[in-house]
Amino acid sequence: MARKLDAKSFAQKKRGRRRWLTFIRMCRYGVNNFSRNAWLTIAATAVMTITLLIVFITLASRSTLVNSIDEIRDKVDMSVYLITDVEDSSVYVIEDGLRNLESVTKVDYVSPEQARENFAKENSSDPTTLNALNEAVNKFPGTLRIKLVDINDTTELEEFVKNDPTVQENIDKNREPSFAGERRAAIQNIGKTVDFADKVGLGASVVFITISSLIVFNTIRMAIFNRKDEIEMMKLIGADKSFIRGPFIVEAVVYGFIAALIATGLGFAALYSTKGKLLDYGIAVSPTIDFVITYIGFVLLGMILLGAIIGVVSSLLATRRYLKI
Amino acid sequence: MILLDRVTKTYGKSTKPALSRISLHVKPKEFVILVGTSGAGKSTLLKLLTREEKPTSGKIVVGGIDYDSLKDKHIPLLRRKIGVVFQDFKLLPQRTVYENIAFALEIAGMTNREIKNTVPKVIELVGLAGKEKSFPHQLSGGERQRVAIARAVVRQPKILIADEPTGNLDPKHSWDIVRLLEKINHYGTTVLLTTHNVEIVNKLQRRVVTLDHGKITSDQAQGSYRQGKGAA
Repeated sequence: MARKLDAKSFAQKKRGRRRWLTFIRMCRYGVNNFSRNAWLTIAATAVMTITLLIVFITLASRSTLVNSIDEIRDKVDMSVYLITDVEDSSVYVIEDGLRNLESVTKVDYVSPEQARENFAKENSSDPTTLNALNEAVNKFPGTLRIKLVDINDTTELEEFVKNDPTVQENIDKNREPSFAGERRAAIQNIGKTVDFADKVGLGASVVFITISSLIVFNTIRMAIFNRKDEIEMMKLIGADKSFIRGPFIVEAVVYGFIAALIATGLGFAALYSTKGKLLDYGIAVSPTIDFVITYIGFVLLGMILLGAIIGVVSSLLATRRYLKI
Repeated sequence: MILLDRVTKTYGKSTKPALSRISLHVKPKEFVILVGTSGAGKSTLLKLLTREEKPTSGKIVVGGIDYDSLKDKHIPLLRRKIGVVFQDFKLLPQRTVYENIAFALEIAGMTNREIKNTVPKVIELVGLAGKEKSFPHQLSGGERQRVAIARAVVRQPKILIADEPTGNLDPKHSWDIVRLLEKINHYGTTVLLTTHNVEIVNKLQRRVVTLDHGKITSDQAQGSYRQGKGAA
């Protein structure tokens, strides 16, 4: 019995060693193919680099776009104007009521006094206006500045303003809230434009990544087509499918690895060198650059994995048709 | 060693079979020459033996393996038992002589030590000592065919199929290759050779099977075949 077990474990070990040996050989052949087919290697690596660069730039652009959109959204808030002599206790009640709404993320209150001070500061260089301000009675309203989850969805806020008795008691009837009247259209336009930019960005990302992946697939397919006789020969002398496919996969992984290093370097350099100009146009590129610097290891790993996956999938699909018995 | 029993092969929707009810028995250690004009069915017959094609009907048994019960996943194992040499050599262009021959052993999972012991001996056998590091494009046609033969016999197969191995070679190199095949046969390997070269057929004095329009028209025992120039 013990002898039988020994024989079994010996056979298992032998199989394991053989598998390992086969794996090492496939890797060696893959690296050899990479180094011995100079032109093919350069062409495939270049195409893969361009693809990964497109992916990098597309993702960076999308991240920058999302950051810029978020900045715009943050700047747009809804204003509800209260009468000048509103009591603080009423303001607290209204603030609490607003904060309890699901569609509201933040509520700030600017009192009539603060509003007057702000106005004075803004016009400090204009003595006529300042004199008029000092002589006049404070007519500034109390302003509630409300930030919403979605600037296009004001339904809940509108309902609250319309139905809450404390708001109705203290609202400035002469000034419409910013989500009503003419301002409503302006805010809605901003909201729609931002949403459109977001969707176009996402769509463009998907299209660019798909097209560039197809280009890589085609290049690898052509490279493998070029060696279909080799595959045929390997089949005829008894190589099994995995042994034939293995080196092509290893080769594609090597393409992906080198291309990822180059593309990440080029992409980051492009982003960094255009930072100044983009900031001048008000494009929020800094968070994206900071992200890449902080997580450079993960970014690089992600790019390598992406390159390897595109390469492996392309190789698998391209070799499949030549591996039929 | 090789048994074909009423084998027919028809490609696609063609009404004319490439092979029609062929029966052939090749004994172990035999050297059989297959002759016939282009389109006679020689290549189809070899493709059936290497299982590149399946017969439409009939039975094939090679080295004790009945092809009817052979699963697709076992085809690589079958091919490792048969050595094949092609007219166009079919070498791996990016690999050296040594690597091309070693490849046949590597796919069979042999260890590096076994490969290091075996490959130099076979290189010596085919007369390519000193060319181990050359790439195929650096060799003459005759030398390339020797590499192909070395690759085919390095696993010591019981059967060697040579499909027009001299087709691309000049007379001197052709004879070198034929002598090499005789040597391999002498060591105990069954050889099935297809050729158009009448001189080789006549001089070898071996069993000759003639195919014509998909049928065996003659099967002449060793030494009894005689054919005029250009007739084979």
